[in-house]
Amino acid sequence: MRAQPAGATWPTQPLKLVVPYAPGGTTDLVARLLAQGLGERLGQPIIIENRPGAGATLGSQVVAEARPDGYTLVMSNIASHGISPALYPGLRYDAVRDFAHVALVISNPSVFVANKDFAPRDLGAVAALAKAQPRGVAIASSGAGSTNHLLIVQFAQATGANINHVPYRGAGPAMTDVIAGVVPLMSDSLPSAAGHIRAGTVRGLAMASATRHPAFPDVPTFREQGVDLVSNSWFGLSAPAGTPPAIVDRLSRETRAVLASAETRARFAELGGTPGDLDAAGYTSFIATEVARWLPVVRASGATLD
Amino acid sequence: METLLANLAHGFYVAFSFQNLLFALIGALIGTAIGVLPGIGPVATISLLLPITFGQPATTAIIMLAGIYYGAQYGGSTTAILLNLPGEISSVVTTLEGYKMARNGRAGAALATSALGSFFAGSVATVLVAASGPLLTSVALSFGPADYFSLMLLGLIISAVLAQGSVLKSVAMVVLGVALGLVGTDVQTGQQRFTFGVPELSDGIGFVSVAMGMFGIAEIILNLEKPEAREVLSAKVGSLWLTKEEFRRATPAVLRGTILGSVLGILPGGGAALAAFGAYMLERKVSKGRHLFGTGAIEGVAGPEAANNAAAQTSFIPLLTLGIPANAVRALMVGALIIQGIQPGPRMVEAQPDLFWGLIASMWIGNVMLLVINLPMIGMWVKLLQVPYKYLYPSILIFCCIGVYSLNNNVFDVYQTVIFAIFGVICNKLKMEPAPLLIGFVLGPMMEEHLRRAMLLSRGDPTVFLERPISASMLAIGAVVLGAMLLPNLRKGKDAAMSG
Repeated sequence: MRAQPAGATWPTQPLKLVVPYAPGGTTDLVARLLAQGLGERLGQPIIIENRPGAGATLGSQVVAEARPDGYTLVMSNIASHGISPALYPGLRYDAVRDFAHVALVISNPSVFVANKDFAPRDLGAVAALAKAQPRGVAIASSGAGSTNHLLIVQFAQATGANINHVPYRGAGPAMTDVIAGVVPLMSDSLPSAAGHIRAGTVRGLAMASATRHPAFPDVPTFREQGVDLVSNSWFGLSAPAGTPPAIVDRLSRETRAVLASAETRARFAELGGTPGDLDAAGYTSFIATEVARWLPVVRASGATLD
Repeated sequence: METLLANLAHGFYVAFSFQNLLFALIGALIGTAIGVLPGIGPVATISLLLPITFGQPATTAIIMLAGIYYGAQYGGSTTAILLNLPGEISSVVTTLEGYKMARNGRAGAALATSALGSFFAGSVATVLVAASGPLLTSVALSFGPADYFSLMLLGLIISAVLAQGSVLKSVAMVVLGVALGLVGTDVQTGQQRFTFGVPELSDGIGFVSVAMGMFGIAEIILNLEKPEAREVLSAKVGSLWLTKEEFRRATPAVLRGTILGSVLGILPGGGAALAAFGAYMLERKVSKGRHLFGTGAIEGVAGPEAANNAAAQTSFIPLLTLGIPANAVRALMVGALIIQGIQPGPRMVEAQPDLFWGLIASMWIGNVMLLVINLPMIGMWVKLLQVPYKYLYPSILIFCCIGVYSLNNNVFDVYQTVIFAIFGVICNKLKMEPAPLLIGFVLGPMMEEHLRRAMLLSRGDPTVFLERPISASMLAIGAVVLGAMLLPNLRKGKDAAMSG
């Protein structure tokens, strides 16, 4: 028998895609959309495994240490692979070296959403209320180290308001508490909030995009409301370092094919996200830039693990 | 009312399709089998079967998974009664009186009570889910983190108080359970806690390892001390018919359990286990047969069995209306739904009426199927257990081993299970009940999360737990229950009741 080139027969069994957040958030949502299309193209189902905790670093850690055989993947994202390296002193993986990055999947703005019955209708009123109340105003996020968390810190800095950051294990449980009124406000990535804003279960208060978002023209931007903040997050696909290049290439190609399909484009537009357009090499250098970019930003923001 | 009937009619129309009926039956059969056979629980089974559901329509997939879940509840009771091996935490309570009934030669009656009680409670809870789903959601929604924390604390206190033997030892087990639950990576800061540099522990100690080790394998080890003593039991199920007296005693217990279970089921995190424990405590306090507890009181089977099944059904409410998975099985179902492109959440009732009402209708159909599978065919399932110990135990151990290994494909989990099995034997020798430890282990991390969130929201002011009426009431009840146990008279009364 002649030796087969690495990855020639791959995949022969279902793949596992680790989502480092609880179900119901953007990472989870996007991972499941991707898994369906990618699974069909690869001819093997992709099983999602939610491993939430510690600002998406727990699940990423698991994949960094997994066997690099192409059967274990992670939804890498701006928290686990951009901000957390600057925020978590005890991080045990290197966001660039310990992974074979496959492709950028989606990028999207953050948005502040409010409980239906929360009185302030704009950012100015939120800041005023936060100054008036001794306990300030609480704002939920999907977890420490996310862009949504940094946006909260930057908002507090910009307005001088007394803001109380309440981190969750993911956007799903945080959104539940905002709908229930446990926490009045939430800083969320647009895709996981999109459905709730449309359904009217929460109110879109401010969009952290430079101009009004085409999918949500009714939600004013931060800038329009006098707070000069723009915040985007991104999500992609990564494998453990050492995964055979042939497999990474195939994954990258198929992922980009899924992203290019009309179906995915329509669904992403509905969620308020832009499909990624970076291959393995492009995504790898993108992450290296991001890690370098966030270090000073995190320091300057004074963001800490609450 | 009319819309409800129309909705239910639509649900039955969906559920009665050949494919949905077939998969409800398959789910119920698989569920019963894994419930009966200790070792592989619904979590492992559902995760193994998840890839199959990819190709099915969403409604069919969720109906089958739900069938596995109820099936395991029914089947778990069978082993709880006949072998003293609880299939799931919620059937731990069933072992207390059910196994004693079996020892008294009333195994058949205990099994019938369990199945009929579960069926009755399941039917009532199904109607309840359909009728009041939207209303009950607002009750669960009004719980803040402080309320959840206090509720769980109350749950821990109750589990310590109702355990057999010394309250002090039970409290120690609860605290130990909470401490074990804290092992792993801190979810908010990423710090390693109590992992002693062992990388496998950074994800925490596995629930299955603790449960399987301390209940399943420890039990087998302890049984080897008195060889073949219990084979008589599995051989003699006895009459399935209840005596008039038993029927008269079980009926009110089933009614109480149904009500309590339905209420406790909708609280995320509470669910079937808390309901079963709550019902057991209630029966021990209020039932006519309370003096018989510890010797095989039928109320101690009827109440908790009704309660856990009612809670198993009503616990779908937070899942279907809020998208909150209350436990591992629910989390898997959320996963299965999202793979299908359905985001569980408040919009699902309107957006996916087929799924919502079809699932509700299938709950009832599933209960009918399980009644048939479990009662007339009980002999078949018992035969599964009639195999002599020398064949049965090695097979159970192998199943346990495969089950534990397949969780993460990691031998560390198997070693972990062995350690907890040895620890379970030691606890048994020291007369320390394992159940409170397990409850503490499960509730501990959730309590921590809610405690920290409540304290964050109050900016470090602990009076928040007393400010909120729900939280304050839970804490007050807890204090009263604990205080009562300090009174020497009551404690003696409890010990007397425990030892019968």
